[in-house]
Amino acid sequence: MSGSRNPVAGTVPAIAAAAAAAGLALLLAIAGSAVREARHDAAGDLARMAAALWELPGGGDAAVAAFLPERARIEAVAEGGTGAPADPGAWAYRAGTLEPGARIGVAAAGDTSPLPRTATLIALLGLSLLAAWAWKRRRSSPPSRYPAAPALLAVGLLAAVAGAGKAWADRELHLVSAGQAAHAARAVGVALATGAAPEIAPRVAGLPWATAAALESPGELWTMPREVAVALAASPSSPPGELAYTVRVRGATYHGAAVALRPAPSADTPGRAPDTLHLALLGYEETRSPAVPLAAAALGSALLVSLILFLLPLSARPRALRRTLAAWGFLAPAGALLLVFTFGPLLFSLWISLHEWHLVDPAHPFTGLDNYRALLADGSWWSAIRNTAVFTLHVPLAMAVALALAILTRGSRRAVRWARLALFLPSITSVVAIAVVWKWLLNDGYGLVNRTLEAMGPGSAAWLTSPDIALATLMAISVWMVVGYQMVVFQAGLASIPRDFYDAARVDGAGPLQRFRHITLPGLRHTLFFVLVTSVIGSFQVFGLVYVMTEGGPLGATDVAVYHIYREAWEFLRFGNAAAMSWILFAVVFAATWLHFRFLERRGARA
Amino acid sequence: MRGVEKRFGDVTAVAAMDLEIRPGELMVLVGPSGCGKSTLLRLIAGLEEPSAGEVWIGGRCVNEVAPGDRDVAMVFQSYALYPHMTVARNLGFGLQVRGASRVEIEERVRRAAEALGLGDLLTRRPGQLSGGQQQRVALGRAIVRDPGVFLFDEPLSNLDAGLRMRTRDEIAALHDRLGTTMIFVTHDQMEALSLGQRVAVMDRGRLQQAGTPHEIYERPRNLFVASFVGSPPINRLRLVREDGGGRLAGGPFVFPGRPPFAHATLAVRPEDLVVTPADGRAEATATAPEATAAPRATPSPLADFTATVLRAEALGSEQRLHLDGPGTAAWVARANPAPALEPGTAVHVSVDWARSHLFGPDGVRTGPAPRPAPASGPRP
Repeated sequence: MSGSRNPVAGTVPAIAAAAAAAGLALLLAIAGSAVREARHDAAGDLARMAAALWELPGGGDAAVAAFLPERARIEAVAEGGTGAPADPGAWAYRAGTLEPGARIGVAAAGDTSPLPRTATLIALLGLSLLAAWAWKRRRSSPPSRYPAAPALLAVGLLAAVAGAGKAWADRELHLVSAGQAAHAARAVGVALATGAAPEIAPRVAGLPWATAAALESPGELWTMPREVAVALAASPSSPPGELAYTVRVRGATYHGAAVALRPAPSADTPGRAPDTLHLALLGYEETRSPAVPLAAAALGSALLVSLILFLLPLSARPRALRRTLAAWGFLAPAGALLLVFTFGPLLFSLWISLHEWHLVDPAHPFTGLDNYRALLADGSWWSAIRNTAVFTLHVPLAMAVALALAILTRGSRRAVRWARLALFLPSITSVVAIAVVWKWLLNDGYGLVNRTLEAMGPGSAAWLTSPDIALATLMAISVWMVVGYQMVVFQAGLASIPRDFYDAARVDGAGPLQRFRHITLPGLRHTLFFVLVTSVIGSFQVFGLVYVMTEGGPLGATDVAVYHIYREAWEFLRFGNAAAMSWILFAVVFAATWLHFRFLERRGARA
Repeated sequence: MRGVEKRFGDVTAVAAMDLEIRPGELMVLVGPSGCGKSTLLRLIAGLEEPSAGEVWIGGRCVNEVAPGDRDVAMVFQSYALYPHMTVARNLGFGLQVRGASRVEIEERVRRAAEALGLGDLLTRRPGQLSGGQQQRVALGRAIVRDPGVFLFDEPLSNLDAGLRMRTRDEIAALHDRLGTTMIFVTHDQMEALSLGQRVAVMDRGRLQQAGTPHEIYERPRNLFVASFVGSPPINRLRLVREDGGGRLAGGPFVFPGRPPFAHATLAVRPEDLVVTPADGRAEATATAPEATAAPRATPSPLADFTATVLRAEALGSEQRLHLDGPGTAAWVARANPAPALEPGTAVHVSVDWARSHLFGPDGVRTGPAPRPAPASGPRP
C-alpha cells in the first residue's frame, strides 16, 4: 500500500499542475488575442481613412504619405484585383481596391503577437512552484500537512494572472483607441490641408466618430449618443490645441480628439467655437475588454484544478480513486451541461443586470445597482409583479378543485377512468394551442361562449378585453389547465395513505369530514406541499397564456412579470433592465418558496 | 352472528357463519391466512357490510350501525397509529371526535397511559416509538374509550418472539382485569390455545370448530382442526379397508372392526408416540413430556413397531424425531432430550392408540382408533 508502488498517486499532482499550466496559458492567450485583434481592427480603420484621403480631389499618394508616413503602403494589383498580398506578414489589414489595380494596406501598431509581461511572469513563477511541488510528490504520497495549499496556490495563481492579464489588456486597448482618436483627427487635418471643404473633410474619419459640429447641425450623419457629444463640448480638457483626450460618459470611456476646421475663431463668440471638430470613439477597453472570457476561463480552470487536487487524498487508495473517477465521469456530461447552460447564463445575466446593456449600443457601461434602484421606483414593473401575485391565487383554488376531483375519481370504473383522462388532457396539450382555442371561444364578437350566453339570456361579457376581468379569465383557464396534473399527483398521494388509518378512524367514530380533516389532509401534507410549491413557481413563470391571449393587455391588466421581462428585453432591447427584473423575480419566488418551507416545517414540528 | 356471509365479487370470504361469543369472553379466531378470520372481525367492527346474515352485539342487530357507534374498539396488525399526532392525541382521538370535553379526554388518556406505562411517551409521535411501544399505544387507544367489545386483528405478529409472549400475557391480564368481551384474531395456533377461553378455528371461510382449547386439541372435530392445531403437526396415516378391519398402508398391523369407509385417516399426536432405543436398554427408555403427566395405557407389543431415526432436532427441552416407520407417512415424535438419538438408530415405538383419532373420508372424526392386531402377512 506504499505510495511509491502506486503509479496513480504520483500522477495526480502532475496532472493538476498540467491543468493549471493549461489554464494559465489559456488566460494569457485570451488577453493577448483581445489586444491583437483590437490592433488589427484599428489598422483596418486607419486603412479606410487612408483610402478616403487618397480618393479626395487633392489627395492621392501624397496625402496618404502625410497621414501615415511609416505604416501605409499602396500597392499595385494584377488585373482582376484579387491576388494575394505581396507580403502577407507585414500588413495587418488591407483596404479594398481603391481603383482598378491598386489597394492600400496599413500595418498594425505594436507587437503583433503580444504577451502580457507581468501576467506571464506571475504565471511562470507560480507554475514553477506547482511543478516543484508535483515533482516532490511524484514518488510518494504521504499525508500532506496542508492539503488545501496546492489548490489555494493554483486558484490564487489563476486569479492573479486573470487580473493582471485584464489590467494589461485594458491598458493596451486604451492606448490603441486613444491612438485611433489622434489618428482620426490627423486624417481630418490632412484632408483640410489637401484643400477639402470643412464640411467634407470630417467624413474621412468615417463612422462611428462624433463631432461637436453635430450640435449645431442636427442633420449631420454622425452617430454618437447625444450625451457624449455634450460632454465633449463641455469637457474642460478639450482645448482645440490638444490632440487627444479622454472623457467618461455614463460610466464608459470615450477617446476624443479636436481638429480646428477653420482658422482661429473670432474672439467675440462665446463658448466653444463651432468650427472646432470634436471626434470621439468609445474606448476599446469598453467594447473589447476580455473581462468576461477571462473570468470564465479562470473560474473553469480553477474548478478543474481543484477537482483534480480533490482526488489527491484518494490517490493512495486506487480502488476508491477509480470509483470516484468513475462517479465523476458519469456526472461530467450532466455537470458540464448544467455549468454551460444553467449556471453560466445565470451568472452572465447577473453580470448584465449590473450594466446598462442596450442591444444596439456597443457601450455597456457598468452602473452597479442602478437598474435595481430604478426598478424599485418603476410602477409598471411592480404592477406586473402584483398581477403575477394575483394570478398565483389561482393555485390554491386549483388545488382545492383537484383534491375534490382526486377523491371523486378514485377507483377503476370505466366512466371514472374516462373522466380522469378528460381532466388530464389539458396538462399534456401545448399551452399555445390551449390559448388559441380559448381565445376563439372567448372572443367578444363571435366567440362560442358569448354567443351561448346571449342565447341563454345572461348576455355577453368582455372576457379578455375588459381590464376588470381579463386576469380573472386567465386564472380560470389556468385552473382548468393545471387541475388534471394536480389531481393525478393527489391520487398518488391518497393511494399512499394506508387503509388501516381510515378503518381505525371509523372504529374511533370519526365521520367522513373528520376523517378528511384528521387522516386525509395530514396524510397528503407532503403531496400538498409539493404541488403548492411547484404550482406557485410555475404560476410566477406564466408567459405563454398571456403572450398568446392578451399580450399583457388590456391596459396592462394581464401584464405579468415574465411577459414584462420579455417585452423589456426583446421589444425595448433593454437587457440590463430585463436581467435585473429577472433577478428580482427570482428573489420573489425564492422568498415565497422559502416561506412555504419555513411555514410547513414549523407546522410539521408542532402538529 | 347469524348466518353471516361476505362475498367479494366471486370470492366468498366468510360463509354461513353462526357463532356466539358470550359476554366477557376472550374468544380467539384462528386459521391459516386467507381463511376469512380478519374479514369476520371487520364484519363485527362494521368495516365491512355482510352480504347476508346479521351481526348482533349486546342484544341489538348492528347491521345498520356505523363502526363508531357499535361500542367496539379495534387494535390493528399495523397498529394504524395516526403518524402526525402525538401519543396523547392518538389515545384521545376517539374521544375527541365524539365531542368529549378536554378535561375528560386528558383524564382518561392519563389513566390509560398509566395503566400501560406510556406516561413518558405522551408527547412523542408514533415514528419515534419502538414496535412494542407502538403496540401499547394501539392497545391504549382501544382501552381509553372503554368499549363493550375489544377486537384484536393479529396485534402481535409484528413483535419479536419474547415481546409477543409478554404482550400475550398482558392482554390476558387485561381481560381478567376489565372483564370485557374480547375477540382476538391470529394465525398462530399456539397463541390461540394459550390466550383464548374459547377458540374458533376457521378454514376457507367456514367455522370448523369452536370450543375451549382443551376440546379443540383433544377432540378435534375434523381432520383440518387436528392438523392445524398442535406443533409439531399431528401424524396422519392412511388406512385402507381390508378383511378384518383397516390396514395401515404398508404397515405390519390391522385395526379390527369394520370401518364404514373404503379408506380413512388415522391421526396420532407426536407426543403420543413413545420412542425407545431398539437395543432394549431399559434405562434408556424415553418418554414424551406429556406422557409423564398423563396416565396412559401400557404399551402393547402388538401395537408397537420398529422404526429408524431419519433426523433428530435437538430443541433443548425435548428432542424431535423424524422416523421412517410403517406406512407412507414420515412419522414425527417428541422424545426426552436424552439420550440423543443419532440418525440411523433403530428405535422401538409404542403408540397410545386410545389417544389417536380416526377420520372418515370426509375428514370428520369418528372416534379413537381401535387397538390394532398383527397383520396376517406382510404386504409389498
